[in-house]
Amino acid sequence: MRSIEKVLLEFDPETRNLLPALKKISAAFGYVSEKDAKKTAEYFSIPLSKTYETASFYDLVWTKKQPSLAVQVCSGTNCAVSGSFEVIKEMENYLKIKAGDGFNSKIKLEIISCLGQCGEGPVVVVNGKIFTRVTASGVHGILEEWL
Amino acid sequence: MSNTKIITNNWGKIDPDKIESYIAVGGYSALKKFIRDLDAQTVLAEIKKSGLCGRGGAGFSTGDKLSLVATQGGEKYFICNLDESEPGTHKDRSIVDNNPHVLLEGIILSSLIIGAKKAFIYINGHYEKQKEILEMALEQAEKNEFLGRGIIGSCYDLEVEIFQGAGAYVCGEETALINSMEGNRGEPKLRPPYPTGSGLWGKPTCVNNAETVSNIPWIILNGADAYSKIGAPCSPGTKLYILGGSIRNPGVVEAPTGITIRELIFNFGGGLPRGKEFWFTQIGGASGHLVLESELDTPLTFSRECPVSLGSGAILVVDRSVNIYDLILSWTGFFRRESCGKCLSCREGTFRLHEIAGRLQDGEISDRDKESLKDILWTLNNTTFCPLGKFAATAMGDAILKLKILGD
Repeated sequence: MRSIEKVLLEFDPETRNLLPALKKISAAFGYVSEKDAKKTAEYFSIPLSKTYETASFYDLVWTKKQPSLAVQVCSGTNCAVSGSFEVIKEMENYLKIKAGDGFNSKIKLEIISCLGQCGEGPVVVVNGKIFTRVTASGVHGILEEWL
Repeated sequence: MSNTKIITNNWGKIDPDKIESYIAVGGYSALKKFIRDLDAQTVLAEIKKSGLCGRGGAGFSTGDKLSLVATQGGEKYFICNLDESEPGTHKDRSIVDNNPHVLLEGIILSSLIIGAKKAFIYINGHYEKQKEILEMALEQAEKNEFLGRGIIGSCYDLEVEIFQGAGAYVCGEETALINSMEGNRGEPKLRPPYPTGSGLWGKPTCVNNAETVSNIPWIILNGADAYSKIGAPCSPGTKLYILGGSIRNPGVVEAPTGITIRELIFNFGGGLPRGKEFWFTQIGGASGHLVLESELDTPLTFSRECPVSLGSGAILVVDRSVNIYDLILSWTGFFRRESCGKCLSCREGTFRLHEIAGRLQDGEISDRDKESLKDILWTLNNTTFCPLGKFAATAMGDAILKLKILGD
């Protein structure tokens, strides 16, 4: 496991590197914790509030610990016309959670925006792994190996 | 109509991982021509004459934008906008996948024309593979002296850096994109000052879409006159159209501007799959207008007089079997998530629109909802800070007006 200091040292302490650094921290440790955010703020000589301001804005930077199973379903227009809402409903039934809820600390089902994989929809992302042309009947097969 | 291909010309014929394969089909000869025989002023005049306009959706004249930055002294930057995140749009990704060097050559040329010594490629946060392709392309270009200090023995220097976004739709807007590169929240800034005057770190900056940039080598090689003869006179050239939805051959096609929607769907896309009945089509991604069967013969251009704005060039064909409420939920949900939260009308408006869309799907819509829907759409259309709010209202407004989802 790398330390936060090591990740930070890869970047020059200039504000233009703030977003790339936060992305890297989030990817390496799963999320940007308060402790890490403080260290980042110190390293870049900016207030902690400013670090959080940037970190909380972007989809690819998490400021909360992520559940062990994160399922994302694209609902962009192309995926929507090829049935992503049926997939979402099936997943809600199968995982017994509602899309967008943050109550379950182990599983999260999220509706996301376009990933640029249009034409191969509906697109589902499970813990970073991308599945294309997912159908409602194929949901069980995809999720089985993660549960 | 001519069948000239400008961007997709070498797709499938060359190996995107090898610069030699692009050079073999005449790649980088526009750059060589520029350095040996031409100067920035001449090329700038040529680009202006060609009538090339921004392919990201706004359709601003590229020549004018470049010269706004070129006429200023001091340090300046060129940014290639590859933060494509409009649903249904993957044209810029396809350019990188098939021929990254045509894009790179365009970036080098644009930067040299405006006198920038540093250029950036702002790439969508989800495009990991494309980032790797571009990194490799940059390395190869540097080895061949198309980049770096003293490009092909001239006194031009240029450095190109890739900056990857972190998944925010609004960052495709140029001021938000610059904010994001400076390490801030990706919220749009008040304009003026425009980025061409005060952009990245307060320096003059030219932000151009990847597809626009890819046209530049062709214009330099073939001249403005040849370019302006292609397509519609008001916004000449070719455009990448992305066909999707209920269509036999989905994917990216290159066709001249001014083409009708019917031609695109039935000639290029092969029509609808067997057994599907055409209902309507949406032009330009989630933020685009809806077009019914009766309007299919409208030519697509970037001109403001054009009834249907071309936008990003995405064409989504919807057949009768699609549940319209799903689609409405998709539109409104997208804009609710992607609204940056800077202005109240968009932050609240997109949220309430999504709420109503949910009730619409559940069949629980009340008269009060119908009343407030009008107010919300008006507010989004007229009072938001940046165009995102307006986009959020477009499709929903059209669905009410043209598809009569609320009844007459």
